[in-house]
Amino acid sequence: MSKNSKWKYGFFLGCVAPNRYPMIEASIRAVFDHLGAEILELEGASCCPAPGVFRAFHIPTWLVIAARNLTIAEELGIDVVTGCNGCYGTLRDAWVELNHEPELKKMINEHLAKIGREFKGSIEPKHVVQVLYQDLGIEYLRGFVKHKFKDLKVAVHYGCHIIKPSDKRPWGGEYEDPTFLDEIIEITGAKSINYKDKFQCCGAGGAVRTAVKEISADFSREKLENIRDAGADIIIDCCPFCHLQLDLGQMEANNFYKDIIGEPYKIPVIYVTQLLGLAFGIDPNLLGLMKNHDLQQVPPFISLEPFLEKVKNQLT
Amino acid sequence: MTESDKKINITENDKPKIGIYVCHCGVNIGGVVSVPDLVEYAKTLTDVTVGHDYKFLCSDVGQKMIKEDIEAGLINRVVVAACSPRMHEPTFRITCKEAGLNQFLFEMANIREHSTWVHMKEPEGAYEVAKDLIRLAIAKARELEPLTVQKVNVEPTSLIIGAGITGMNAALNLSSAGYKVYLVERSATIGGHMAQLDKTFPTMDCSSCILTPKMSEISRDKNIELLTYSEVTEVTGYVGNFEVTIKKKPHYVDQEKCNGCGICVDPCPITVANEFDLGLSTRKAIYVPFPQAIPSQYTIDMDSCVECGICARETVCEPGAIKYDDKPEYFTVKVGTIIVATGYDEYDPSELKQYGYGKYPNVITGLQMERLLSSFGPVLGKPVKPSDLKDPHSIAFLQCVGSRNFREGGNKYCSRVCCMYATKQARQYKEKHPDADIYIFYMDIRAFGKGYEEFYESAGRDYGINYVRGRIAEVRENPLNHNIIIRAEDTLLQQPIELEVELFILSTGIEPRADSDSITNLLRIQKSADGFFLEAHPKLRPVDTLTEGIFIAGVSQGPKDIPDSVAQAKGAAASAIALMAKGEVEIEPFFAVVHSDRCSGCGMCIENCAYGALELVDDRRFGTIASINKALCKGCGACSGNCRCSAIDIIGFSSEQLYSMITKRE
Amino acid sequence: MSDNVEKYIKRKVYKSTNSRIAQKFVDAGLEKLRACINCGTCTGGCPSGRRTAYRTRSVLRRALTGDESVLEDIGIWFCSTCYTCYERCPRGIPVTDMIIKLRNIAVEEGHILDPHFVLANKVFYVTGHGVPANGEGNQKWRDLRESYGLPPLPPTVHMHPEAVKECQELMKSVGFRDLLDKIEKQKEKEKLEAEKAEANKIEDKKKEKEKK
Repeated sequence: MSKNSKWKYGFFLGCVAPNRYPMIEASIRAVFDHLGAEILELEGASCCPAPGVFRAFHIPTWLVIAARNLTIAEELGIDVVTGCNGCYGTLRDAWVELNHEPELKKMINEHLAKIGREFKGSIEPKHVVQVLYQDLGIEYLRGFVKHKFKDLKVAVHYGCHIIKPSDKRPWGGEYEDPTFLDEIIEITGAKSINYKDKFQCCGAGGAVRTAVKEISADFSREKLENIRDAGADIIIDCCPFCHLQLDLGQMEANNFYKDIIGEPYKIPVIYVTQLLGLAFGIDPNLLGLMKNHDLQQVPPFISLEPFLEKVKNQLT
Repeated sequence: MTESDKKINITENDKPKIGIYVCHCGVNIGGVVSVPDLVEYAKTLTDVTVGHDYKFLCSDVGQKMIKEDIEAGLINRVVVAACSPRMHEPTFRITCKEAGLNQFLFEMANIREHSTWVHMKEPEGAYEVAKDLIRLAIAKARELEPLTVQKVNVEPTSLIIGAGITGMNAALNLSSAGYKVYLVERSATIGGHMAQLDKTFPTMDCSSCILTPKMSEISRDKNIELLTYSEVTEVTGYVGNFEVTIKKKPHYVDQEKCNGCGICVDPCPITVANEFDLGLSTRKAIYVPFPQAIPSQYTIDMDSCVECGICARETVCEPGAIKYDDKPEYFTVKVGTIIVATGYDEYDPSELKQYGYGKYPNVITGLQMERLLSSFGPVLGKPVKPSDLKDPHSIAFLQCVGSRNFREGGNKYCSRVCCMYATKQARQYKEKHPDADIYIFYMDIRAFGKGYEEFYESAGRDYGINYVRGRIAEVRENPLNHNIIIRAEDTLLQQPIELEVELFILSTGIEPRADSDSITNLLRIQKSADGFFLEAHPKLRPVDTLTEGIFIAGVSQGPKDIPDSVAQAKGAAASAIALMAKGEVEIEPFFAVVHSDRCSGCGMCIENCAYGALELVDDRRFGTIASINKALCKGCGACSGNCRCSAIDIIGFSSEQLYSMITKRE
Repeated sequence: MSDNVEKYIKRKVYKSTNSRIAQKFVDAGLEKLRACINCGTCTGGCPSGRRTAYRTRSVLRRALTGDESVLEDIGIWFCSTCYTCYERCPRGIPVTDMIIKLRNIAVEEGHILDPHFVLANKVFYVTGHGVPANGEGNQKWRDLRESYGLPPLPPTVHMHPEAVKECQELMKSVGFRDLLDKIEKQKEKEKLEAEKAEANKIEDKKKEKEKK
């Protein structure tokens, strides 16, 4: 696929995607390449920093590190794309706050000056889903669909920070019931099913998972219960941290709450670009869907086999 | 001694002798700045001959001070530095007049609203501002000239827009005082929202029982010309002499011929949602809004009608009333006063997605519940769950839906009726279903009216209605039975709760009519920040507008219950009667004048005049020049400000007077 | 009076205000909470409150009244920052942001959970990542990356030691390093005291035994 200079982004990796769930990173790279959207590396980027922990510890630290990350893309003169709701939350909130509060910007730039950087606010931080939906557009994506899934019931999990706070997000103020991710999913022929508390948090963020895993796992337990009740085949998400919480979290919930959940959960969790990539006809190996069984104690913890088995015949 | 005996003649040669009177207004002014110091300052200004201060100048004693100085010949111009002229300019004009001085030789400096109120925390700055304002007023007073008020006749006829409970009451009051009334209503029946209600709080009177007799009274009244299915399209003129154009919308059924038999309804093949029942029932394309509607003749809803011709068949409509080619009619009436009583819209809660309205069948609004409770409603007064048409065993109400919400799309104000209507509806349901569990989720219960607190107390004590203090955060539907699962905090227990009920009622609030701008544009009246029509003074002129001769009443002015609406209707009617009973009205002589020698006849002023008061005429001496129709001119100044030749002045606000205010430094 | 009855008597009337802490709340902008009408929309829709003792409204009300005990309340760390309360507050209070500010003050006062402190002090400050893949213990994550055709380490701070330095420089500049040091000292002190207390207990027990 030839490079299309129209779409060019600095890829902000964050932490969980590259360092724990690299299949997500691989699938984003593969799908963007396939769609003719160019990705450039943001060399030397750090943790965003995570909004629930580091922002909660010390706001100036959070803001100054976020600003530094943005300056890396400003040097390249291109918008940032990230596949993580947490990174998106941090980069976008910081971007909005710094652009709206000149005093704050001045203060942050005084610190940045010590390492020879300056935040200008010249580029926009975007989410992978935002780029797919708003920059490329549903119709453009539809043109790439090669295989349509039949009878695939999907529980879409948006996560929180891609939607909220809505006044700092690009979805026109919608926060109770957005549909952009469902619309993207459904071009593959999959059916986005309705389930109770669809927009409930997975429980990972806000420093909760680091503080007390059992509480975090109880969030996901409730979420998984509702998803299972609705009869979903798979979960689709758009955030590596939610992904971790819903994948590894199933094991944890199965362990912590075995007395109340009955049959253990085993719902495959797939990242949005992994599913899109399959529908586009991209090799599942490039999308991180094929597990290397030599490695122990690595994700995905919930086997994707039932899903791959189900769609196998539809990919020809 | 009569006024004319005392009349002081002022000629151009008389040197101005200005009296300055500074009011303490209790502590409103005196508590912030030193009033005696202001007087001393003012006395140093040119032509000021007398200066006094007083605690309340508007009082009899205060006015007497001014009168005595006029009568003693000490002064021939009066400047009062006090509150807003909107408040007391008329008071002091009368003071001058009574003392024999032309009332237009008076000027007011507003040092309260424009200084001591707004700069309360910076008294030194406030003092400087007050000094400036006084200096300006004195500069203008020096240039004032005696003027004569204009008197015009008042047409003893009133126009009332809106025939709900407010408009109807105002109409009956005016009629009983002997005035002719045009009562214009845009829907096909009179009665307004009250016709949709079942019972009324706190007395539990049946709404229809008190409303329908009034409706028929209206239709019988000889003085009231009822114009339903009509809208006002244009209003020109001024107090006492308004010209109103009314559009009678086509009914597509000849109203003279239709006898209201209703045989046409069954054969009509078109079924649509019935707006009177808020979509809880259906009606045909040919319809009357509800059985007791007045007038009782039928109307065809042309947006839905397919003109199949069935209703026009002789076997269906014996009188041959169907008229598919009916056209709107326009006609003009002349009235002296106008009362606006256009009512309200119910808040649409679909935007508050967390409450599931429009998504879950068992979530309804308060007005929908009212229709369910109504004995002539879609379920004949036996409320059911929309999902399966069975009696609900548990009901929750949520208060303040759309009200007291400072977010975008919400209304900040309290709608004032929801606490009581929810309590009333809960009690009504409990009367028929004593075993039902009823919860009312509230932030504050506002039971301020006569008998309301007692009504609320009884709801808990005698009816066992559960009041839970907490605003519901979100609801979910139980997919198995369409029950509604409520999530809220019981704030008094500091405990999150989850509660499953069979019917969930949103106590939706009141909103200004979505199209209320059309009224403000037609009548040139204002709206307050909440979107309701603005009264001339919140306390003392609650039914007046800033446009003389136009009054407002009922919910169009702000949320209120039936007793308050009716009280305002009577207030507006009394105000209209007071104006018309005199037979003539004084008009301030503040209109535009053209200096013919300076006018170039460019015609710009004609474009700028919103009242059509200007035209170009041929003058023998000056050629084509602008000319002003004093009867139409409002003295707004749009022509004067935009005149390139400075050829137009507004009397009382002439260029000389205004320049003297801004240029005269002492 | 018997012991049984004593515990039911509570003569202290609730009084809480600590003016130093109250001022901190004001400086952090928490006075926005004065618009709160205590409707409970935040608590009622909180996914955390449904399973924990975290009560959004009550926590913020305590902060508003200057109740410093709120800083030690572990409940404030159970907010998952989902922003549902922020979106729905009828008074437009940025509720979630208020909780985050409250946490900032708690940390400043030394109230930070051990796992959070380790994450900030030993992981983020040292590596520049919240979840790193470098270092000895993380070989399997590098293997995992390679199994998907990616280089063993991403082109982030992991490949750029000078970038880690930049981040550390910034954290020093905004005062985070000093804050972490202060907390570290405090934690060490607390640990020593706890150990000492434990040792004393054992000593006491020993003595008691010997007496017997």
